[in-house]
Amino acid sequence: MKNLHAEVSVAQLCKNGEELCGDKVEISHSREQVTVVLSDGLGSGVKANILATLTTKIASSMLGRGISMDDVVDTIARTLPVCRERKIAYATFHILTVTSDGLATVIEFDCPKTLLLRAGRAIPFPTDERIIGGKTVQAGQLALQEGDMVVLVSDGIIHAGIGGLLPLGWGWKEIANHLELEMPTFSNSDKLCQSLLGCCEGYYLGKPGDDSTVVALKLRKPRQLTLMVGPPSDTSRDEAIVLDLISRPGVKVVSGGTTANIVSRVAAKALKVDLTYHDSLIPPIGYIEGIDLVTEGVLTLNAAVERLESPRILKSSNRKDGATLLAKILMDTDHVDILAGGAVNPAHQNPLLPAQMNIKFQVLSRLRNALESLGKIVAIEWV
Amino acid sequence: MLTVEICMGTACHLMGNQDLMTAIDSLPHEIRDQIEVKGKTCLKNCGKGPNVKINDLVIAGVTPDQLLDIIQANI
Repeated sequence: MKNLHAEVSVAQLCKNGEELCGDKVEISHSREQVTVVLSDGLGSGVKANILATLTTKIASSMLGRGISMDDVVDTIARTLPVCRERKIAYATFHILTVTSDGLATVIEFDCPKTLLLRAGRAIPFPTDERIIGGKTVQAGQLALQEGDMVVLVSDGIIHAGIGGLLPLGWGWKEIANHLELEMPTFSNSDKLCQSLLGCCEGYYLGKPGDDSTVVALKLRKPRQLTLMVGPPSDTSRDEAIVLDLISRPGVKVVSGGTTANIVSRVAAKALKVDLTYHDSLIPPIGYIEGIDLVTEGVLTLNAAVERLESPRILKSSNRKDGATLLAKILMDTDHVDILAGGAVNPAHQNPLLPAQMNIKFQVLSRLRNALESLGKIVAIEWV
Repeated sequence: MLTVEICMGTACHLMGNQDLMTAIDSLPHEIRDQIEVKGKTCLKNCGKGPNVKINDLVIAGVTPDQLLDIIQANI
């Protein structure tokens, strides 16, 4: 996304006693738009999970291929099996797309109303009734502003505490009140999800009576990061590439010893290696004024990818090695531009060294996959 | 004060530069206090690591024992 970034978080509870959640969320990011599909399969457990997965997959794959919302809804409506006894579709669906200029589109089918948080208020996202493929859906469009949040919940949240602590359940209105009250604490979308889900679990007394899902989307300025890895293949371009790096907005990271030397030389800023933190597996980090993080190259990158593949462990880790610092700084970013130097260090071809370090391309592909699965937009430019 | 610069690059790391750090740290206080250890990102001799630079001279493929001998000779 060029102008604004849609940060999306999800939090879920399974129905008490179930291992699989019958609610399914599918999120896909591209530079043009983010698409969120939430589906609640009828019932709970495996059957509900499979039906919800089928629904979210159909919707997100079709939308990802540029097929119109009407066709997508029509396909799902015609594909979803209808329960013979209950005469209702097996899975509900809730679609939210937000384009890079902030245009949000919502489609609701048999699901709770979408919440819009703007200027301290929590209100229903404006929608109109439409009939697509013989199904009545609620559809609406709105130009979002920076700081707006959009919240999708499954009926497990709406019914929290029903028949127990709260005779009629939590209810949409009370949820909106809760969000208005807690809004000042929602510095990011994850905080909102955790707050809502925490209360929901409390009302269920720790034993959810239904699968419960919260999806929160916050629109904000994107956080940019540029990572320079390895020296350019043509040494005469060293200066141009470093000047390009320095002129870019946002966070700047340099990975690789020789690369750090080049940046230090071109920028005329001293490079200092920090020996105060010792880690036997990850070489130490360094400092260059104007660069936010300087690390060793391929070993640190490999380890950073491993850390990014376990985001929960990374979040709670207090380690200060280069790979953990790099993984954390990447976690806090939305757009990652990688300037990948094409030069090959002949010493890295030594057969005595681990095989994986010979192939920069492979490490960067793994890094790209890890970042994209976390919803980051990644661009690799070979220089 | 003797400055010992140890290469912290990828190849030198894999070829055992940590053993050199450990060897220096195991020196008796009176000798260790006379040494300043600095990390370098690359001493441009990657194929022959681990590399150490003492008195402007890059020494390649150093073992911990050799490093301690060189330090003794320079103090």
